Amino acid sequence: MTAVVWFILLALVVVLVRVSGYQSKWKVRQQLLDGACAVVLRSVQLAFAVHHSFQAWVQNSLTQAGLDMQELLQGDDTEAVLAKRQQLSDLLASLPQRPEHLAVILPEVKVRENEAIGNMLAGEVDDVEVLCAWGLLAKISHMSIYTRDDSLSRTFDSIAGRLRNSKMVARAFDGRTPNICLEAKAQVEHICAHSDSSQPDIHICLWSRDHGYPSIAKLAQELAREVQSGALSPTAITEACVANRLQDLRGCKHPELVLLLDDLPCMSEFPPWQLQNSELVQIGSGERSLGDAVFRALVRFAKIEMRWGK
Amino acid sequence: MSVDVHSWYTWAALFVTLTAYIIVAGLRKPISFLPFHTPCNKVLANVSQTTRLVLVRILRQGHIPAHISFIMDGNRRYARTQHLKATSGHISGFHNLTRVLDWCNALGITHVSVFAFAINNFTRSADEVEALMDLATNKLRELATKSELVKKHNVRICVVGNRSMLSEEVQRAAEFAEEETKNNTGLRLNICFPYSATDEISFAVQKVAEDVASGEVRVEDVDERVVADRLRIKSPDPDILVRTSGQVRFSNYMLWQSAKHTHIQFIDVFWPNFSFFHMFCILVSWQLARSQISYRKA
Repeated sequence: MTAVVWFILLALVVVLVRVSGYQSKWKVRQQLLDGACAVVLRSVQLAFAVHHSFQAWVQNSLTQAGLDMQELLQGDDTEAVLAKRQQLSDLLASLPQRPEHLAVILPEVKVRENEAIGNMLAGEVDDVEVLCAWGLLAKISHMSIYTRDDSLSRTFDSIAGRLRNSKMVARAFDGRTPNICLEAKAQVEHICAHSDSSQPDIHICLWSRDHGYPSIAKLAQELAREVQSGALSPTAITEACVANRLQDLRGCKHPELVLLLDDLPCMSEFPPWQLQNSELVQIGSGERSLGDAVFRALVRFAKIEMRWGK
Repeated sequence: MSVDVHSWYTWAALFVTLTAYIIVAGLRKPISFLPFHTPCNKVLANVSQTTRLVLVRILRQGHIPAHISFIMDGNRRYARTQHLKATSGHISGFHNLTRVLDWCNALGITHVSVFAFAINNFTRSADEVEALMDLATNKLRELATKSELVKKHNVRICVVGNRSMLSEEVQRAAEFAEEETKNNTGLRLNICFPYSATDEISFAVQKVAEDVASGEVRVEDVDERVVADRLRIKSPDPDILVRTSGQVRFSNYMLWQSAKHTHIQFIDVFWPNFSFFHMFCILVSWQLARSQISYRKA
């Protein structure tokens, strides 16, 4: 039986060689070798894909066995939950370093719908609520949430309404209502408990691709106009000049930590100027919830050493 | 489970395992793990070389990136682990760079960018900066004139960065390397030295303003493409960005180009220890992700 199978395979190869026309023996050998290498490559790629899936499965199993971060903020205020929440808050406060500005890259809608990462994320409004709660819990003063397709700006009013009435956010802020500044490209809204408080407890910016490459191109156009009109000399366009013009009017620093919520390690056209000295943490679909992802990113950030070129 | 030492398959399995270990170890580390210079070294080097050729052939059956970019981090920490001076780490890093270029050329990669020296590296000790400048001067000339890679594979060297910050001697060495190889049509090597992405973007913005003032470009036509065409690095956006040493940041390197759809790989190994094994894994990961990247670009 085995001999018959081998004979059929050999006959097939001979027929293929004949059908492909006359070629030199060397060329045929090269083609067979290339074919064998292609088969090996596909096997290696399959092994890699299986390995990545296995790693994600292991990660998922480990997080299931651990503490459910999301429940601490979404669950009822029982004594046990309050105690755990306080423990978590103390743990976050004890981290040797925390970012003042955290940026989170959410995958765009078409990516969420098609890929496994969608399991970790709920709707966009829910995600912003969870991120705001975590920002308050970890005492992060500035948070930027980025989507390439600017889908968050389109739901600005829904997000503001959700944050205004959010129990999760209040729980993260020790049961009080925080002062939140929510900002998109063309809108700013202060969601505050007390209007006399000028400094927000957290400043949330909704970023999109427009905050990056188009902004730099627009700045280049403005500066070119000034040079053309004689108001500015080209030699005055230095790195400091560009940095000053691109700086957020509220004077916030570039994000120290960028959390990429995606299986694919690509930046999705995140504003390039903001990435200068950012630590990048990628969390894939192995995490059970957004809260787990943020917690892991903060713990990883706490361990890094910034050397600033030295 | 007991092992039957008298059976042939036990010995066969041991032999196969040992051979596989030697090949993998030879790929992961240059062939110096044997403590003595024995004739076996040459045989094992040939086996590693053949295995590398086979693996290159396997990789070439799939898509190959056009541009790969490296942040060569970890030279000083490597030197510390070997109880050597920092300069020795940089020299080891240079030797590994020539090996990596060889692999890239064999794979058919047409553009390679390397982050050799950042602008804020000038804040390091004066001795180290001077040693790095001397190394750069010597190695640029060596690469341009004596390097097998440049002569055999027609590599074109481009030194990219704010050269006004370099001494005249280093500037001359950079100009010499570029002049000697300007007609080469092979792999393009962008040596970013001294470089920062924000400096590059500012330079492009300044160039746009100058070109508008001279009438070369109309101010209404200034857009992202016009800015991108005036960046210092004249290569397509990198398909893969690799940073060694386990640090997970860009450190102000190729931000405009890499923040788009570049596949980013942070590898926890010092640059002098970066081996073909790591390169193989990176390329296979990229080949697997390529279809998703193309879908997102659309």
